Amino acid sequence: MKTFTDKMHTYGRIWTVTALAVLYAVPLVFSIYYNVFPQFSTLLKALAAVIPIYWATAIVEVITYTPLLGAGGAYLSFVTGNIANLKLPCAMNAMNSADVKATSEEGELISTIAIGTSAITTTVIIAVGVLAFAPVLPYITAEGSVIKPAFEYVVPALFGALLASYFAKHWRLTIAPIFAGVIAYIFAPKLPVGTMIFVTIVASLVAAGILFKVKYSKQFASEKE
Amino acid sequence: MSDFKTGALMYALAGGVILFVIVQSLFFIVKSWKRAKEIGVEPEKLKQTVVTSVLFTIAPAVSILATVLALASALGIVLPWIRLSVIGNLAYETVAANNALDALGGTLSEEVTDTQQFSTVMWTMTIGSCFPLILLPIFCKKIHKVMGNAVKKNEKTSALGEILGAAGMIGIVAAFVAKSLAAAPDAPDISAGLMSVSVLVSAMVFTIALDWLARKKGIKKLEPFVLPLAMFGAMGIAVLLTQFLPPDIAGFTFR
Repeated sequence: MKTFTDKMHTYGRIWTVTALAVLYAVPLVFSIYYNVFPQFSTLLKALAAVIPIYWATAIVEVITYTPLLGAGGAYLSFVTGNIANLKLPCAMNAMNSADVKATSEEGELISTIAIGTSAITTTVIIAVGVLAFAPVLPYITAEGSVIKPAFEYVVPALFGALLASYFAKHWRLTIAPIFAGVIAYIFAPKLPVGTMIFVTIVASLVAAGILFKVKYSKQFASEKE
Repeated sequence: MSDFKTGALMYALAGGVILFVIVQSLFFIVKSWKRAKEIGVEPEKLKQTVVTSVLFTIAPAVSILATVLALASALGIVLPWIRLSVIGNLAYETVAANNALDALGGTLSEEVTDTQQFSTVMWTMTIGSCFPLILLPIFCKKIHKVMGNAVKKNEKTSALGEILGAAGMIGIVAAFVAKSLAAAPDAPDISAGLMSVSVLVSAMVFTIALDWLARKKGIKKLEPFVLPLAMFGAMGIAVLLTQFLPPDIAGFTFR
């Protein structure tokens, strides 16, 4: 019998292939309608600059995010994007406030529902924003607007809040990755954050493994006594 | 011909993409919801998840909207809208569009008025960003299986799995925290400095204070609002600091 997770993978595969078709339909329909296909050599030149970075990042992203997102959450997240700065934090927040573990089935379900909700909310906000506020929004985010700084600092606001909620539970685990990240930025201030995530996750996992070993062997020793 | 970027066809394509995203999300929500009921998760918890996630998403979504507008001057509003609704993010799309235009001898700082150019930009963006969707159907299940087996082996490894799960999440948070503490990226991205550190610290303080109110003072209703409120509060601090600090202090960056 197929388990629920197996089914999710089957659905996910079907949806992802459909998503690819939908994605490619956009340039394809446009090109057919206006009868303008890009020149092969030009496209190749543009892609030569883009693909090595993007496709390498894609591999790193799939390896890094997939274990953290549940099955349903992974398929949904990679279609709608903005994983590190929105979908994953949103899922973490939902699992934290529902008090479920990411590794449990309950956690996986909560995370999928959170990511789905987040995807719909984002899509609706962007659509409404584009249709209703497009004429006004340039003024809000324009140079010199009073509230422009608010949106320039979404990243520290979001991750400060998340850090605080992790700090409460696992403060020991937060030190090494932040330290590693700061050091890396001192030497490479322009490093793209996608690459940095790889650095900090590795630092975080290694430090957590060491901490665990120390703690577990201590526990083991005290049990023996 | 100059309105092809915001013509009926482009709006129709945007409508199709958005419909797809919403239907797909609803599909997974409904499946997970039913399964959660089967295994006995309280419906209250699920409803709370939806509320929490909507609230959490608002601020980041508005900032994504702002990036749509940033790209709109060159590409029209509809293409950036489509691209940022699926996969895209500002850095990706800007670089892809720039490279495509560069190959054609143009730049992103002027409006694209030629359908040929526009089509090249679209194809570059699409081909450049689709790779995760090719990898995922092939590897997602395998990755989860390997991980699941590693966790299930015994009690010790399952405890380790839990800690490593948390550590993975913290690793992601740490990258962005470090960015706010020490990065000096290319403009228009903001360099770390007085402002980014102040916002980071305010968000932490607000979260801890609101969490204390919600848990210790027993204001249960506040719980789903803790993170969104802390975020908005910290963003408010950014506005206040720019308003009231002298520009050279507010604009101080570490390098």
